[in-house]
Amino acid sequence: MAQLDELIHQPLRLKIMAALYAERDRQPVEFSRLKAVTQATDGNLGSHLTALERAGYVEIVKDFVGKKPRTRATVTPVGRKAFRGHVDYLREVVEGVGD
Amino acid sequence: MGVSRTEAAAALSDIEQTTSRSHLSRGYLISGPILMTWGAIWVAGYLATGLKPEWSGAVWLPLDLIGVVASIVLAMRGRSAPGAGAGAAAGLGWRSAIGALAVTAFIVVTFNLFRPVDPQAPVAYPGLICGLVYVIMGVWRMTRFAWIGAAMFVATLIGYRLFPDILPFWMAAVGGGGLMLGGLWMRRA
Repeated sequence: MAQLDELIHQPLRLKIMAALYAERDRQPVEFSRLKAVTQATDGNLGSHLTALERAGYVEIVKDFVGKKPRTRATVTPVGRKAFRGHVDYLREVVEGVGD
Repeated sequence: MGVSRTEAAAALSDIEQTTSRSHLSRGYLISGPILMTWGAIWVAGYLATGLKPEWSGAVWLPLDLIGVVASIVLAMRGRSAPGAGAGAAAGLGWRSAIGALAVTAFIVVTFNLFRPVDPQAPVAYPGLICGLVYVIMGVWRMTRFAWIGAAMFVATLIGYRLFPDILPFWMAAVGGGGLMLGGLWMRRA
């Protein structure tokens, strides 16, 4: 039986992980786009991304496009596995597995 | 600590909605540059049509070909990234190309069937058809396409009715410029 991931289960972190997982095989997602997709504020998104980065679920890439700084995020292999496990757990709860 | 069935269902629904928004955002990110390319092609084509009407046919064919090839390349570049399926990217590119060719063929064939006597009709017709196609695309998936298509449709009719003498230049500025602005708007979605 799959396990609940307390870190991912927080609503905004769940959205961040879902957005990054949807883009897992592509280039890292820009901060502004992630903000629009998750409907978060700058401060909220930044703090939750940091929490996910500390857990090793997300990698934050900072670089420059010309002279403009750019922040992007991508889900790590550990994060993918954790997200899949959490989704499996949620499905099992909905389907009543283990009741 | 576990979660209730209701809470789990709500979380799954959140995941589904976020994934859907993510795919939509990616669609806009890919479509924006393609629309801007077609905007530039319209500016060049309609300016040439306005300045040298006799060159019209010779100018539009290579421009359309450039547009189709550029659309394929941009679609593939937008989809393909390290680890992405090359097959999916190629599929999107070919679908874009076949769609553009189908619209071009439809415009040419219907124009030949109805043979309008008004010399401004062939100038306005592509704007109306492209406007319609974008509205249909927007109704199905990407709403911004619907707004751009509706604006193009109305702008074309305004130019046809109110400014027939400068219609090619109107189409270059309003149609081509509008597509470029629309592409920019999509890219920022």
